[in-house]
Amino acid sequence: MIKLENVTKVYPGGTVAVKDASLEINKGEFVFLVGASGSGKSTLIRLMMREEPPTNGDIWVAGKHASAMPGWKVPQLRRSIGTVFQDFKLLPNKTVYENVAFAMEVTGKHSSVIRNQVPQVLKLVGLSAKADRLPRQLSGGEQQRVAVARAFVNRPLILLADEPTGNLDPATSVGIMRILDRINRTGTTVVMATHDHAIVDAMRRRVVEIDRGRIARDESRGIYETAVQEAVPVTTEVTEVIEEYPPIDFNDDAASFDVAEFDQETEQESSAEIEFDASEADEAE
Amino acid sequence: MTTVAYMFKEAFSNLGRNALVVLGAILAVFISLTLTFGTLVFGEVVRVNTLQWAEDVRVIAFLQEDLTPQDVAAMQEDVASWPQVEDVFFVSKAEAYEEALVLFANNEAMLSVIEDNQDILPASLRVQPVDPDEYDIIVTRLESTPGVDRVQSADDAIDAMIALRDGLQLMFWILAVALGAAAVALIANTIHMAIYARREEIEIMKLVGASNWFVRTPFLIEGAIEGLIGGALAVTFVLVAQQLAVDRLADLPDWINLVIDNNFLVKQGALVLLFGVAAGLIGSSLSLAVHRTLRS
Repeated sequence: MIKLENVTKVYPGGTVAVKDASLEINKGEFVFLVGASGSGKSTLIRLMMREEPPTNGDIWVAGKHASAMPGWKVPQLRRSIGTVFQDFKLLPNKTVYENVAFAMEVTGKHSSVIRNQVPQVLKLVGLSAKADRLPRQLSGGEQQRVAVARAFVNRPLILLADEPTGNLDPATSVGIMRILDRINRTGTTVVMATHDHAIVDAMRRRVVEIDRGRIARDESRGIYETAVQEAVPVTTEVTEVIEEYPPIDFNDDAASFDVAEFDQETEQESSAEIEFDASEADEAE
Repeated sequence: MTTVAYMFKEAFSNLGRNALVVLGAILAVFISLTLTFGTLVFGEVVRVNTLQWAEDVRVIAFLQEDLTPQDVAAMQEDVASWPQVEDVFFVSKAEAYEEALVLFANNEAMLSVIEDNQDILPASLRVQPVDPDEYDIIVTRLESTPGVDRVQSADDAIDAMIALRDGLQLMFWILAVALGAAAVALIANTIHMAIYARREEIEIMKLVGASNWFVRTPFLIEGAIEGLIGGALAVTFVLVAQQLAVDRLADLPDWINLVIDNNFLVKQGALVLLFGVAAGLIGSSLSLAVHRTLRS
């Protein structure tokens, strides 16, 4: 479904975002792209959706040679790809229904098809009752569900998600993951770039780790497993800050709030794990 | 909703969003095309009225029907010998017919009359005076010459008209071209703003696979509408002005004809509208070509 062969992406100015990456993703797979910020996850997603061409190497997406495609053919490729982003990208002056219908209108779908499909997909994401709301009247999680509905309404072969839970709290993230899982089970290939350890560890799907533009790890039922070298600079930085501002009291409110949030996150993790373990058992590839 | 209806709806909603800038663009098209169309109409008026007076001819003697070629030759020789006369040439009935075909090229009603009665136009002698101011002496002498039916002379108004046309036409064309360029730039600017205002929608359209023409067409329509409105205003303005001139200046000497054939007005008017639409399309294309959001 998606195939990368020795793909390198160098941005003007010499930044190497992706270096000699080869990857094959089959139809119906659910793949997490993990790695630190700036590791090249988002660039890989952008290359797959042909937002930009690679500097070197070949990319095939949905049977099309995406890396060698002229600009005017890109719309055709996009129709077989649904995309979800961290910032939702909803149109603020359109209702939930209109936002989803928009994706069908602009690809020239007949209005009867639109009237038929939009309610179905809104039902799938659990927003039937809020079809007439505007995005600002919805919570973050609900807005992201609208975005997922819009990505899926044209029944794409592939769903590319770039940090879809990046702006959401853990409980809401689980809701989004449940929908992505459901979409995956319809046979749609899902590729999701994420930072979210809890989700990756709970879902136990294929994990591809990107480290400084290279594919560092590819496991069929992986966990997030933060690489040690990522943590080091962070710790050093924090230590430096602490040394610079010694009067910080680690027992103050802010510190304890962090702890509380972490606890909550762990809680969500475990509940998510239960949910997705069950669903995975159904699928057993 | 059909795709076409969708695109026009989008185009009109864009027009409403930047009303002030759109108004500026339309006014620029309007003024530019008013000058263009005005120049064309004025040029046509002058052309129709001065055709016979080319080559410094100031006096025309229309001849009686019953003259023999020998009579005409003798008369031509006689007139040529007058001290005030620089040159005389003879325009036969056939030549007069050819001339009339050109003169009334834009007036089908007149043309059909002439074509049906090719003999209706009299032969004439065309006289170039030595000194243009002495034409009245020539007129008086010709009127008392046997065989001359009627004498027509051009006075200073003809000279003024020709000079005015040449001067105005140059100035109008320069202004029209400059304002035309300004109109294209202003339309490009309105489209630029429309694209900017809708950049989120465009981004999403591209994400979900809307084709390039689907994204671009509403902006092209918007530019074309701006050009069309400006052009329509210009055509209306010139037609009304010309009609007013015909009505107000009714007591002009009868050899000045301000009425232009409708055929000419319709053809040139349509052409001016087309120019307006073209200016709109060029402006929006320019904007679409340079706008980053629309690159794939």
